[in-house]
Amino acid sequence: MIRLTIDGQEVTVPQGTMIVDAAAKLGVDVPIYCYHQALGPLGACRMCLVEVEKMPKLATACTTAVSEGMVVRTSGPAVDKGRRGVLEFLLINHPLDCPVCDKGGECFLQDYTFEYGPGGGRFQEPKIEKVKDGPINPFVLIDQERCVLCQRCVRFMREYVGEEQLLLEGRGVETVVTTVEHEPATSQFTGNVIDLCPVGALLSAPYHHKGRPWNIEREESVCPHCPVGCTSKITAREGHVIRMEGRPIPDREWGWLCDRGRFGYDFGYHPDRLATSIVKGKENTAAQATRQVAEWLKTVVDQEGGRGVGFIIGGGHTTEEAYQLRRFAAEVIGTDQLAISRTEAGYLPRGLNGTFDDVKQADTVVLLGSDPYDTVPVVHLKLRDRLLHYPALRVIGLGPLPLTRDTLPGLDVLVPPGQESLALALAMAAQWPQNSDVQTLVGSLKEFELQGVTAQTLVQLGQYLQGAEHLVLLWDGKEPEMAMVLGVLARLREKPTAVLPTFGPANWRGYEHAGFSPRFEDLTAVLEKARDGEIKILMVFGADLLREYPNRQLVESAFNQVEYLVVEGILPPQGAQHVDALLPGAAWAEVYGTYINMEARLQVAMAGVQPPGQARPIKTYVNTWARMLMKPLNWDEEWDPFDDDSGDLLPFEPVPDHVVALAMPPEAVGPMTLVTGAFIWESGQPSEILVPRVPQFPGRINPAEVKDMGLSTKRGHIMVSQGSESIVVAVTADPQVPKGILWVPQGLFGTNHLIEGTVTISGVTEEVTV
Amino acid sequence: MSAQHYLLRNRDVEGIDRIEVYEANRGYAALRQALKDYQPDELVAMVKKSGLRGRGGAGFPTGMKWGFLPNDGRSRYLVVNSDEAEPGTFKDRELIEENPHQLVEGIIISSYATRASEAYIYCRGEFLRGAEQLKRAVKEAYDHGYLGKNILGTDYSLELKVYRGAGAYICGEESALLESLEGKRGNPRLKPPFPAVAGLYGGPTVVNNVETICNLPPLVTYGPEWYTSMGTEKSPGLKIMSVSGAVKRPGNYEIPLATPLRTLIEEYAGGMLPGRTVKAVIPGGSSVPLLMPDQLDTPLDYESVVKAGSMLGSGGCIVLDDRVCMVGATARLVKFYREESCGKCTPCREGTYWMTDVLERIEYGQGQLSDLDLLADVADNIAGKCFCPLGDASLGVLVSALKHFRHEFEAHVADHGCPMGARLYDTVNH
Ligand SMILES: Cc1cc2nc3c(=O)[nH]c(=O)nc-3n(C[C@H](O)[C@H](O)[C@H](O)COP(=O)(O)O)c2cc1C
Ligand code: SF4
Ligand code: SF4
Ligand code: SF4
Ligand code: FES
Repeated sequence: MIRLTIDGQEVTVPQGTMIVDAAAKLGVDVPIYCYHQALGPLGACRMCLVEVEKMPKLATACTTAVSEGMVVRTSGPAVDKGRRGVLEFLLINHPLDCPVCDKGGECFLQDYTFEYGPGGGRFQEPKIEKVKDGPINPFVLIDQERCVLCQRCVRFMREYVGEEQLLLEGRGVETVVTTVEHEPATSQFTGNVIDLCPVGALLSAPYHHKGRPWNIEREESVCPHCPVGCTSKITAREGHVIRMEGRPIPDREWGWLCDRGRFGYDFGYHPDRLATSIVKGKENTAAQATRQVAEWLKTVVDQEGGRGVGFIIGGGHTTEEAYQLRRFAAEVIGTDQLAISRTEAGYLPRGLNGTFDDVKQADTVVLLGSDPYDTVPVVHLKLRDRLLHYPALRVIGLGPLPLTRDTLPGLDVLVPPGQESLALALAMAAQWPQNSDVQTLVGSLKEFELQGVTAQTLVQLGQYLQGAEHLVLLWDGKEPEMAMVLGVLARLREKPTAVLPTFGPANWRGYEHAGFSPRFEDLTAVLEKARDGEIKILMVFGADLLREYPNRQLVESAFNQVEYLVVEGILPPQGAQHVDALLPGAAWAEVYGTYINMEARLQVAMAGVQPPGQARPIKTYVNTWARMLMKPLNWDEEWDPFDDDSGDLLPFEPVPDHVVALAMPPEAVGPMTLVTGAFIWESGQPSEILVPRVPQFPGRINPAEVKDMGLSTKRGHIMVSQGSESIVVAVTADPQVPKGILWVPQGLFGTNHLIEGTVTISGVTEEVTV
Repeated sequence: MSAQHYLLRNRDVEGIDRIEVYEANRGYAALRQALKDYQPDELVAMVKKSGLRGRGGAGFPTGMKWGFLPNDGRSRYLVVNSDEAEPGTFKDRELIEENPHQLVEGIIISSYATRASEAYIYCRGEFLRGAEQLKRAVKEAYDHGYLGKNILGTDYSLELKVYRGAGAYICGEESALLESLEGKRGNPRLKPPFPAVAGLYGGPTVVNNVETICNLPPLVTYGPEWYTSMGTEKSPGLKIMSVSGAVKRPGNYEIPLATPLRTLIEEYAGGMLPGRTVKAVIPGGSSVPLLMPDQLDTPLDYESVVKAGSMLGSGGCIVLDDRVCMVGATARLVKFYREESCGKCTPCREGTYWMTDVLERIEYGQGQLSDLDLLADVADNIAGKCFCPLGDASLGVLVSALKHFRHEFEAHVADHGCPMGARLYDTVNH
């Protein structure tokens, strides 16, 4: 530790700390542009000049490391003149168009000029002219004239994200920030540069000229689109959400968002947004629709008791809403048939669930079927952050497709679809052959040979699993037995082993916490009971089952069979013709509440705007129904989802230690296997803003497989068939994908018409050139 | 005047750029001797003892720089700075164009001494002939067994490559040079870490000027005592000075350090052109303050020139005569820095632009008296506040011109133009 004095106050900080951070510890604010803790020092802007005793010149506080006994002054005649000079320099070529700048009022050039700057300018010469409002991509604009060339944006993309899509072009006073080859930046993380830019140079295209600090309101929120639950702020103006920004949390979150989250805030204003109640295909008043549903519920409950009613929750509801629904189901209806709409069959016990702190300490990361860039993007950034701090980070992908990337390089172990847990168990058997749990796991696999993976690879994998000091596993949740294998692994390792579930729905832990079963089997059971006529009225909240549930036939027959299908949501679900009552719900940003993310962390999102038309939060519906059913709910005691002991994390629960033998996989699969997986552009709610960026050919297949279909190097459509069912899928020929695999985003193109597994493919005539 | 040249041997031996001629004139003998008679550390000790200082501008002791390389087993690089772009400096150009083998030989000795296994010559983009000469010389050296695996049958191996820059003065700054060599934008790096610890591709790296390295063959041949027998205790040895301006024989001159400026101008360069008198001298390349006529007796060694208020720098000695308009000359030089500012840091990027505009405005007769104080204040806001030395370098001539020739600036304001009738672009090149 190093002791030094800043402005007469003594402070002790670790060796290597820069003066600027030591000052911050004392609450002394040193003005900065180019420095950012996540990016490290650069020393470009010279805004942070301070005086250090015994140094002949002013020093930049962001590049000067503290030393024992150092005496620093952050003001005084020399410092003040230095800062004034830098600000004057920054302003000579600045267009001074603050009155029309989106960042006016939230700009560090304005703030510092006001605080430290010269009273007026002395520059009389012509200013350099540069590009104004040029596109970085459809979401981000650049005004090069306002740029102070701090390089935060360039360095963020190049060093932090690892996708070098922004650069400096030109020299000296002609230097500008632009994109590589002047092509649109395609990274998933471009929007962060808007937050990083200290001035009004990088702007949000959808927010352009939409608001100023004095006519907007900002609320703390959480991004609802995927299980990361990134901390964010929403900006609302006149009842509309018009922007989302990142929300840093000291010592925990940098406040990064992915573009899908940052710009996908407009789903509440989708042209198809539900704002009126529809009963039996006809628009209705809210009162009549609610009464109608209450009558159906009463009829069913009178005849069948609570068992005749099933509840399924999905979508983007808050934990509190799920709790309100659960109480209604339990106390008014008297049913425990409460399921969560799941796309994957796996469940992760709370006790195995890690946090992002584990990522910060990881030395080994295993990606089980999930490429975080595509499923939980900001986790990819967190891994990048770890990689920058710990270059030896070992990354292992385990799945039917490569899961590592240029930006997160590592070893890919390719296994046949559905055999990730087998591969993991076999690797454990190679490393811990004597362990009885492991022996049980692989007990039936004596005859089994994992295709395409050598024994050597398994031994190596096993060594990595044991050798890791701090192991993090990302899991796509597809193979339910994986949870058991992971449980055994965690017990064997005796060192930190943290699993992060990347599957949705985003708030499934919240629904679980509120009392809904997160188990896929329970969801299937509810649907089967509906199909079999035991459940007469199916109450679906926020879920789009025909899209989400992997077996579309079961959902269809359930929908056909039930007497009443009631669906609450913000957008019409697939198969609206089946729906007896469609009730408009309140969306994210329209209700205050808690979301629980993939860390099992509770995070509160404020409401910033009102729901449109007849749209109502769940509480309004259940209260009305409860009164109509003569069992009003009592909310006197407010439910607090936070636990007194575990704070913002869900209380820890021991991991079940029940172990059974893994089953032999089915006989060799056919020549082409359909694999589906989460894909961030297609999960969460649809956004109009994002349309230009949503990949139009998201299916992926090896070029050789489609060579005869005329799209070996291109994109196009192929027909995918299984039995009597066929779907058309838009694919990109991608040499990264192993032969024999067709990967399609879960739920897209009606993949759930088919069962994941063997399919046949054939060409369709129309071809699209890139 | 030295009868015999040690660095500019091309002046004495016709065709020495060809390997046969070079070899016939003791070429590569120093290398043989170094490999045979010296352990690398002994060579480093010899360079330390000789007191050789870097000739790229800063004058840092070369032996000491070599001594900073950490002994951590990582493979080392030697990078030769041949980006010579400082206005008024043209010594490296002659060295690489006329006597490339001397540099190659110096590089091999230096690489052996510093235990480098890869060496690069970063050659200024505009030096087309220089780059061709170097490439040819390197190829010949490979063919003759001076480069590559097991040099001259020893177990020392070295790879040497010539890399051409793309025309940026800033890439002469060693850390920007390394960025450029790695294929990146030529912006200076944050120091520490210094190149010795984390240089090319993060590896331990020595960066030395062409002239510095060219001292190695004669140093090995004649020994450190020969070197310290010239110059002063702190500035021993030989230095090449590039003399330009209204002298009779502009060109490069190899002088023992501490030779008086007057001797350089009057004897080596043959004195001023008829009818011209010295108005001021920029002794060390465009980046250093002016010396005035009453300072012509200043000995040209690092310490004395600093004492006189300027710097020996790269040895580009620009003699400004009585027909030179100081406003015009200053405007041209500041404009050079505006053009060459890399743009990384605010004061240099914006300040050189601002100063150039004001200077040109004064030159064209649009100036006000208040502009003179403005210039001085803008210069003060740049001074000592930039990321790399280029920003300060832009001020050397300006600040001293404002001090010594303020009357010329005032006359431009009063007369709405140049009283000498000097025009843009022909102020320096009479
Ligand atoms: C703006 C700038 C330009 C420079 N240009 C050159 C150059 O062209 N050649 C050179 O040898 N050194 C140049 N230098 C100095 C180098 O940074 C470095 O100090 C030198 O190459 C070290 O070699 P030496 O120790 O042999 O002098 C320059 C420095 C600065 C700040
Ligand atoms: S655009 Fe913004 S973040 Fe990027 S360099 Fe310019 S001022 Fe900095
Ligand atoms: S990673 Fe997920 S939660 Fe975070 S911004 Fe992207 S979509 Fe939203
Ligand atoms: S002083 Fe600054 S702008 Fe100028 S060349 Fe150096 S780093 Fe670049
Ligand atoms: S913040 Fe220190 S130089 Fe930019």
